[in-house]
Amino acid sequence: MAYSEKVIDHYENPRNVGSMDKNDPSVATGMVGAPACGDVMKLQLKISDDGIIEDAKFKTYGCGSAIASSSLVTEWVKGKSIEEAGEIKNTAIAEELALPPVKIHCSILAEDAIKAAIEDYKSKQG
Amino acid sequence: MNYFQLFAIEVSFDVDINHLSQSYQTLQKAVHPDRFAHASPQEQLLAVQKSAEINDAYQTLKQPLKRAEYILTLRGVEMPNEQKSFSDTSFLMQQMELRDMLGDVKFADDIDTAFNHAQQVLTQEYQQLLDVMQQQILENNTAANALACDNLRKLKFYQKLNIELDRLEDSLFDD
Repeated sequence: MAYSEKVIDHYENPRNVGSMDKNDPSVATGMVGAPACGDVMKLQLKISDDGIIEDAKFKTYGCGSAIASSSLVTEWVKGKSIEEAGEIKNTAIAEELALPPVKIHCSILAEDAIKAAIEDYKSKQG
Repeated sequence: MNYFQLFAIEVSFDVDINHLSQSYQTLQKAVHPDRFAHASPQEQLLAVQKSAEINDAYQTLKQPLKRAEYILTLRGVEMPNEQKSFSDTSFLMQQMELRDMLGDVKFADDIDTAFNHAQQVLTQEYQQLLDVMQQQILENNTAANALACDNLRKLKFYQKLNIELDRLEDSLFDD
């Protein structure tokens, strides 16, 4: 199957790969997985006191589309408020990366990772 | 007729694979195209369909995870959509560590030892979880079925790890 140029670009030069301290109260961690293909995705957001995402890191074990989706998401969420980030839809990710129908679930995984991270942040703020 | 009935065995996770393989050969012989060379087109078509069904049944019952999924489906347990994300954080953290462990094997000072260790860890964890699921399938009540379903999804992550392990083995020792 042919990957789009944007997927290949993110796959070969992934943005913001790495980890943050998950115990840091200002770090939100979202972990999601896809049983169908065994992909595992970790998205971490560093969030300022006024709720702005200052930095984002990801680590993904999965196919090119899963890596590209998470890489793209780290670029998109930076500078956004957590509310704005929570509105990012998988369809926008899939469209930007020109994902074929069989790879749509990779973009869903990335959207779910953002949601899981925000949930983690809220539970930490409690 | 369900797949177990097709092989004339009772619905159980505990399947004798040798017996299953022998039955498979026997069943396939009975519907082999050669036997229907002079039959009507209608009968030939039925034989081909039967052969495909026997094949599907064999592939499903042979593999533990597919067999488990099939049993749960027969019981009417609703399986979560394959596309639905799994979000058990501690399990996924552990999965990520296992993937890191596999990724680190090729950088180890002693690659053989590191590979064998990784293989041992994966085999052991997979088997433990499989045993737990088998027990839950055996219990066969609503709560146990739901737990079995959850563990089946977890086992699929291990299945992926085993594929990666095979790939790693090929890349490390294939010369």
